[in-house]
Amino acid sequence: MENLNLAQLGAGLAIGFGATGAGLGIGIATKGLMDAISRQPEVAGKAMGFFLLGAALAEACALYAFVIAFMLLGK
Amino acid sequence: MEHWIYTTTIFGHTLSFNLDTIFTMWFAMICLIVFALIATRHLSIVPGKLQAFCEKIMEFFSEIMDTMMPVQNRQHIPLVASLFLFILFANLMGQLPLRIIHIKQGELASPTNDINLTAAMAIIVLIYYIGAGIMKKGPKFFLHEFSFIGIVMALVELLEMITRPLSLAIRLFANIFAGEILVSILLGASAYFLPLPIMLFEILVAFIQATVFMMLTVAYISSAAGEEH
Repeated sequence: MENLNLAQLGAGLAIGFGATGAGLGIGIATKGLMDAISRQPEVAGKAMGFFLLGAALAEACALYAFVIAFMLLGK
Repeated sequence: MEHWIYTTTIFGHTLSFNLDTIFTMWFAMICLIVFALIATRHLSIVPGKLQAFCEKIMEFFSEIMDTMMPVQNRQHIPLVASLFLFILFANLMGQLPLRIIHIKQGELASPTNDINLTAAMAIIVLIYYIGAGIMKKGPKFFLHEFSFIGIVMALVELLEMITRPLSLAIRLFANIFAGEILVSILLGASAYFLPLPIMLFEILVAFIQATVFMMLTVAYISSAAGEEH
């Protein structure tokens, strides 16, 4: 590990922190979905659609970090 | 993940084209146009199977527009529907075995793994929703009340004009690109059965990302041209 490039370190940090936030977000969204379904099982289908939409929006934050990490690796 | 870049000079300006993206984009467009032409031939009052299917698709768009934007929404359906169908076709194309056709550089995958295409679509959405707001409210679309809150709101909206297309473009691009990188990494680990669940997941992602792009477009249009609350 003598030639540790700082850009690679930055790429690892970027994707790590980004994935942390997105994981927290999707976890909270799943908790909300479970709460909603256990209270009102009849809304399961409709809630699932909104959950997928919100999960995709939360996941996008991790993917911004992924793009940054990829740009850093390309240096 | 490299693109087949063709560089040329027109009137002293250097232009470079990502040819693989252009080919796959045309392929998706041709699929969509041929599908639409076949579906709209021999329309009848009593719909056949194909016509019933297409009417279901249009009902899906109508319902989404009705829930997100209650009044005067039918004029925006052409843009929203073609964006959704094009993105869906383009994303699903990435799972076709087009990579076995060898080209000079890069590979034939889904065209949405190129940020130029998604950025172009996001800029179209930006221009469209600003245009819709101006058509609806006139020059007052840019004006707010002259107070501290009004000035802050105007600055925030100016910022949104940059961040909205940026996030739209990067979200779609990064989802498809990350999926392809994941599949290629798993291909390196074990080429036979390991990538299959990820490829199935990518089909789900294709639908979700097309829906997300469309829902955000509808939300932006309805915030620009919808009724004031």
